[in-house]
Amino acid sequence: MAEMIKLFVNGNEVEVEAGKNLIDAIGAVGIEIPHLCYHPALGADGNCRMCLVGLEEGGPPLVAACKTPAAEGMKVLLDADHIKKIQHDVLEFQLINHPVDCPVCDQAGECSLQDYYMTYDGQKSRMTVPQVTKSKKMDFGCGVIHDQERCVLCGRCVRFCRQITKTGELGIVNRTDTARVAIFPGRPLDNRYAVNVVDLCPVGAMTSADFRFKQRVWFMKKERGVCHGCSKGCNITIDHNREKDQDDLIYRFRPLFNEQINGYFICDEGRLSYRDENENRLTEARLSKTTMSLDKAVTAGLKEIKRAEGIVILISPDCSLEQMVSVKSLAEELGATLSGFSDGYIKKGDGDDYLIQDDKAANRAGLAALNIDSSQTGFEEALAKAGLLINFNNDLSLFYDESSLKKLFKEKRVIGVTSRNTKLFQMANLVIPVASFTEYSGSIISCDNILQTFNRAITKNDTLVDICEVASLFGGPLKTDRDRYDELKKIVVSLNDFDPDTIPATGLKLT
Amino acid sequence: MSDRSQLISTGEPFKFDQERDTEFERLIKRYPERESMILPALWLTQEQEGWISAEAIAYIADRIGTFASKVFECATFYTMYHLHPMGKYHICVCRTLSCWLRDKQAIVDFLKDEIGIEPGQKSEDGRFSLEEVECLGHCGTAPVVQINGEFHEEMDVEKLKALLAELN
Repeated sequence: MAEMIKLFVNGNEVEVEAGKNLIDAIGAVGIEIPHLCYHPALGADGNCRMCLVGLEEGGPPLVAACKTPAAEGMKVLLDADHIKKIQHDVLEFQLINHPVDCPVCDQAGECSLQDYYMTYDGQKSRMTVPQVTKSKKMDFGCGVIHDQERCVLCGRCVRFCRQITKTGELGIVNRTDTARVAIFPGRPLDNRYAVNVVDLCPVGAMTSADFRFKQRVWFMKKERGVCHGCSKGCNITIDHNREKDQDDLIYRFRPLFNEQINGYFICDEGRLSYRDENENRLTEARLSKTTMSLDKAVTAGLKEIKRAEGIVILISPDCSLEQMVSVKSLAEELGATLSGFSDGYIKKGDGDDYLIQDDKAANRAGLAALNIDSSQTGFEEALAKAGLLINFNNDLSLFYDESSLKKLFKEKRVIGVTSRNTKLFQMANLVIPVASFTEYSGSIISCDNILQTFNRAITKNDTLVDICEVASLFGGPLKTDRDRYDELKKIVVSLNDFDPDTIPATGLKLT
Repeated sequence: MSDRSQLISTGEPFKFDQERDTEFERLIKRYPERESMILPALWLTQEQEGWISAEAIAYIADRIGTFASKVFECATFYTMYHLHPMGKYHICVCRTLSCWLRDKQAIVDFLKDEIGIEPGQKSEDGRFSLEEVECLGHCGTAPVVQINGEFHEEMDVEKLKALLAELN
C-alpha cells in the first residue's frame, strides 16, 4: 500500500497517495483537474496550461498541476474565481482556430475539448477574423488519419512516437498559430503501435481509418475483455452495438489500462483482431454438406464417437482454462488421447520486447498448467493410430499446408468444433459452431503467468454454445461452472485459494 | 507567419561538400548530445546551398542519427532557415519594435517599388529576394537591413539606393 498524505482541495480535506502529481493524486479520489497535454504514460509536458491550479500559502500562487507533486498539507484551489477565469481563457484560446465541427467529428462524445467546453467555458466565440486554415484528412500511415485544424497541439502523439515506440515519425512544425502536427515527407507512421495515438489524442485530430464514421460513440456499449491475439493477454475495451434489425457487432477494440500487463496501450494487430469476431464465422452445424440443428449434429457426433476405433482430441491453445478442463475430462471419459499441439501458433521472431509476443496463442500456459501434451510427435503418432479426430477450434492450417492436412486426415473421420468457417474446418466431416472469446466467460493464463478472467461481452442474435457445453453434450462429466472450477483446482495447485469471483480484475500473478 | 511545412524536393541526393563535412565533424565534438548539431547542420546546409531542401533535412537527420521529424521541426520553426531558393541578394528588413518606430516601412515600400516584389518573394531575374524578419539585435542603430548576412545600420531610402547601385 502506498503512503497516504492529507491535503486540502477547495478547503475540504482529502487523503491521497503520495508521490503522484496533483492531477493523478486528486483524480484518484474523483476530483477532476482538466488537462489536455498530460498523460500518465507520457509524463508532464506543461504546454496546454489547462491544469493550472491555485495554491494557498507557500509556493507560487499558481502552478501547473501536472508538474506539481502532491504534498502534505497543500491547499489546492480549484473553484476560486481566478482559477475558473484561467480555465475559461485557456479554452477560449484553444477554440480560436478550432473548427467546432463536432456533429461530423468522430471524437464527439469522448472529446476532452468538448467536455471541458461544456464544464469550464460555455461562452460564445468572440472571434470576428477568419480562422487559420490547415490540412484535413491527412493519411499519416498505419491507418491514422489526421485533421490539423482540430488539433490542440498537446503533443501527446509526438511524445508517444518518441518515448514509447522510439520511432519519432511525428513532429510539430511551424510556430505560433500555423503550428501543426506533421510527418516528414516520405516517412509516415511506421510502427506496430501507431493507432494508440488515436486513443491518446484528447480531441478529434487523430482518427482511425478503420473506425471512423462507423458508429457514434454514445451508441456503443463498452465491456472489458482480454485480447486473444497473442499470449500477452492485453486488457481491452470491447465497443459493440446492435443496430436495428442487425446482429450484435464489435466496432473496435481499445486498450484498457492494466498496470501489470499492458499499461495504457495495445498493438495494432490486436486492435484489429475484433474483425475475426464479426467476420467469417461458422454459424450452422454441418454434416458433409447438409446443415442441421445443434441437437442433430450432437447426435451425429455421438454416433461418430461410438463407431470410432481410437479417438484423438485436439484442443486449441486459445481456449479458456474451463474449456480445456472440460475437454480434458471428456478425453478421459472417452479414453481418447488429448493433444494441444499448436506449434503453428508460434511466429518465431515476430515478437518484440514490449507487448507483442512470438506466441499467438492466448492460453498456452493453460495447456502446460493442465499437463496437456503439446508435442508434434505425440499428436501425429496418436492420430496415425486413431480413426476419429475431434478438433476443438485448433487451427492446424497454421502448421500444415493443404496437402499435408489431406495426408493427415486420410481415412480418418474429423469432427470440427469451431467458431471459424475456414478451409481447415470445411475439410471436416462434421462441424459444430461454437462461441468465440468475446461471447463466453472464462479465464486464461498469459505468457507472464498471470491468470485473468473475462466475462461474456457479446450476445449474438443466434447464440452459439460454448466449447464447455459441447464437451458435456459429447459425454464429458463436467456439467456446471462449479464442476469445472473444482476440477481446475485439483489440477492447478496455485488456484487453490481462489474462486472465480475472488480473482482480482487486474489479474492474478501465479507462482 | 506563413506555413513553412511544404518542403521542396530537389529530386537529387544531398551531401555536405568536403569543407562542410570537415566542419560538421569538428563541431559535433563540442556537444554531449549529437542532437545539438541540428541547428549548426542546418546552417552549414544553408551556407552550402543557399537554402534547405527536403533531401537536406533527411540527410542531416540520418547523419546525426535523430528523427527526421525533429530536424523538420527546427527548420520550420526558425525563419532564418530558407526552405526555398532565395535571390542572389537576400534582403532582410527588421520589423520589430525599434525598426518599426524608426520607419522600416519606408524601406520596405521602397524595395517593393524598386525590385517589384512583396516580402517573401523573389524577383523574376533571381537577383533579389525580400523578407521582413523579427529582431536582428541592432535596436540601437535601427532601422537595420541585412543583405546576405551583412548588417547595414541606420538605414534610410537614400542609403539603400546607393547600396543597391553598388550591388548592381
